Amino acid sequence: MTKQNISWSRVGLPRRAFLKGATALGAMAATGLALPRPAFAAGGTLKTRTYADIRSMDPAFSQGVVDEEIHAAIYNKLIQYKPGREWGWQLDAADMVEQVDATHINFALKDNIGFTNGFGAMTAEDVKFSFERIIDDALESTNKPDWGPLDHVEVTGERTGTIVLKNAFQPLWSITLPYIAGNIVSKAAFEQAGGKIDTQPVATSGPYLHTSWEPKQKTTLTRNPDWKGEAPVYDEIQIYHIDDEKAAEIAFEAGEIDFTRVSLDSVERLKSSPIDGATLDEYPSLYYVWVGMNLDNPKMANLKLRQAIQYAIDVPSIMAGAYFGAAEPSTGIIAPGLPGHREASLTGTAADLEKAQALMAESGETNVSLTISVLNKSANVTAAQIIQANLAAIGITLDISLHEGATFWELGNDENVELVLNRYSMTPDPYYATSWFITEQAGIWNWERFKNEEFDELHLAAQSEGDQAKRAAMYARAQDLMEESGAYKFITHESTPVIYRNTVVPALRPDGLPLYRYFGAV
Amino acid sequence: MLTYILRRLGLAAVITVLAVTLLFLIIHMIPGDPISTMLGPKASPEMRAALEARMGLDKPLIAQIGLFFANMLRGDLGMDVFSNRPVTTIVLGQIPYTLTLILVSILWSAVLGIALGCYSAVNRNSLGDRLTGVLSVSVIAVPAFVVSLYSLLLFAVKLQWFPAIGAGEPGDWGDQLHHLVLPSLAIGLSWVGYIARLVRASMLEVMGEGHVRTARAFGLPERRITFGYALRLAILPTVTVIGVGMGFLLSAAVFTEIVFSRPGLGKLVIDSITTRNYPVVMGSVLFSTLIFVASTTLADIINAILDPRIRAGK
Repeated sequence: MTKQNISWSRVGLPRRAFLKGATALGAMAATGLALPRPAFAAGGTLKTRTYADIRSMDPAFSQGVVDEEIHAAIYNKLIQYKPGREWGWQLDAADMVEQVDATHINFALKDNIGFTNGFGAMTAEDVKFSFERIIDDALESTNKPDWGPLDHVEVTGERTGTIVLKNAFQPLWSITLPYIAGNIVSKAAFEQAGGKIDTQPVATSGPYLHTSWEPKQKTTLTRNPDWKGEAPVYDEIQIYHIDDEKAAEIAFEAGEIDFTRVSLDSVERLKSSPIDGATLDEYPSLYYVWVGMNLDNPKMANLKLRQAIQYAIDVPSIMAGAYFGAAEPSTGIIAPGLPGHREASLTGTAADLEKAQALMAESGETNVSLTISVLNKSANVTAAQIIQANLAAIGITLDISLHEGATFWELGNDENVELVLNRYSMTPDPYYATSWFITEQAGIWNWERFKNEEFDELHLAAQSEGDQAKRAAMYARAQDLMEESGAYKFITHESTPVIYRNTVVPALRPDGLPLYRYFGAV
Repeated sequence: MLTYILRRLGLAAVITVLAVTLLFLIIHMIPGDPISTMLGPKASPEMRAALEARMGLDKPLIAQIGLFFANMLRGDLGMDVFSNRPVTTIVLGQIPYTLTLILVSILWSAVLGIALGCYSAVNRNSLGDRLTGVLSVSVIAVPAFVVSLYSLLLFAVKLQWFPAIGAGEPGDWGDQLHHLVLPSLAIGLSWVGYIARLVRASMLEVMGEGHVRTARAFGLPERRITFGYALRLAILPTVTVIGVGMGFLLSAAVFTEIVFSRPGLGKLVIDSITTRNYPVVMGSVLFSTLIFVASTTLADIINAILDPRIRAGK
């Protein structure tokens, strides 16, 4: 990077009142918007850790949280996630965002945001370019689905415009605008760079500058001297790439990093023998873990057999044995705090052996021998062993088939799969969860090959439903349908334990992922 | 000598081609779909097909091997599909870390191991020799990962003398050396014992040979006999072992790089294999093979320089 200073002309834009969006998250934002930030000691370096190396500094090709942790600090979006224990968003580059109707969202940009390297002020043209390039088939962006039914962005003024959707899309407020696909890049800089970039940003606009990247080692962000918004607390943030959680814990104990996620099996140790000057916090995760049964496999065709398995699995034992008591049983694929979360599952969490045995007898199946496919992580292996013992109690012999990452993740294509202990990542909108279980996804990400017309209709309708109560009820019903099929036993959403020095005031999303630009210091 | 070196270099080229072909086949035979791993869940079938074509995975395996070697000769190892950076740049960026780690490890362990071996041979059956023997066998028996973890807990966490992660600030040699201490200790410790035992055995053998007895009979000083005549020949097996040992050192470096979160070729290979990032795997494997072949060839050439019988093919 040759030049970091920015220059832009101020354009008079009347400040307009913030109007909340149509979603519940928008409502949350309205209450959280005016929250003052506590006063922090400014300066110094924050040393933190990420579990994988960066892949791209181009939001169109961001591969998820690892890239986004950096993007959120160096780029701006119209809105950003609000740190805290409840999901919500706050204005970022936007001075105003208004949902005019189901398919039109007006926005006005702040007049003091500029791009580095002399690429000028952020304009509505940059917003249009940033969003439309992701849905452009020619770019082949892997993040195109995040923009759902985006039609185009209409530029109505230098800093004003309208996002036009083909149909209503509620996840826009929870996973599009405040996340990966919502990052705004400089049109001029990207066009000069040939349309897309790799690991070196060409122009940024956030409170931090991307100063250096040492592959497989660390990324360094430094304070953007030209940032006109609220100043970030740290002068520098060093993000170390430490893939192994145990290595990260050692690095934390050695005083080399100030913040890291820790492994679930370390929580008990860190609670009983706390590290001096450090705080351990547990955040609920959005991930969902479940046992899936392949409906297309003749061995799993018997509904009563599948139901017997559902009732035989003892989730509390799995929580104790595989998750060391650091996670809670789940009731579905939608975590607490999100619309559609169910207070209880249909089949319960504790095993009901009597019912399971009765269902087994009804099934007429004898000498049942099945195989469960598992990714070779210690928690999964332990969970599979507990399930093995649970099923033995109703006369089912369960073999455990271990797979390393790449072979495991192509099991979706394998129609011979019987049972799978699976775990998917999640964003803070239920739409993201149900999208993998529609009929179209059978044999791709719908490994159970669950095909249900009502489910598909609910998935489609719920993404546009503006009434939050109705929307939540639709997702709850969708999960009921999954469970009624007998193909799913929901296990847990896991949790995200993090540890940090008492000198650090972390700013985290409700699922424990860091928002570095808001980190504070004591 | 020149003929000998050319012969060794020719053999090295053949070994490289065979090794890379074999590794290419092994990597492509491992089950696992690189496209799914690389593109993630949101990719459309069209994007999957396009990437498959771009990576050449839609071609027969034999054509893929041919293409790899043809591109390799042009210095083009392809592009990393994730970051869109040239594989050569990625691999060359990691090699210095691994080479430095290996060379520093082998250097300190060779210096200490040779010194201990000489001492033991010269003071055969003394208390010091026995102690050295016990210590050598003890450290040989301790795997590198055990040394890594214990040294981390003791010197990084408890005493906080040395850093636990990373390779130090680029351009700051002092910081980089500081970061090398624990990883090189982990890799080199067992080699100290191994080299010490090897040098002791070789020295004892050589010191019993006629030319050493003759030198003694001529009244040459013991120091000159030991270091000028005996060690020069006794060192030959050690040089060979160190050359061949580069392969083992590379494997030890993989684990050490992960434990100490150091950048390097080992960590790159592991990450790339996990994600089936074929271009980066092949680039890393090619350079690892070159390092191994170069070190064994160099060991052979050094042996030939030290021992005229080898040059003469006797």
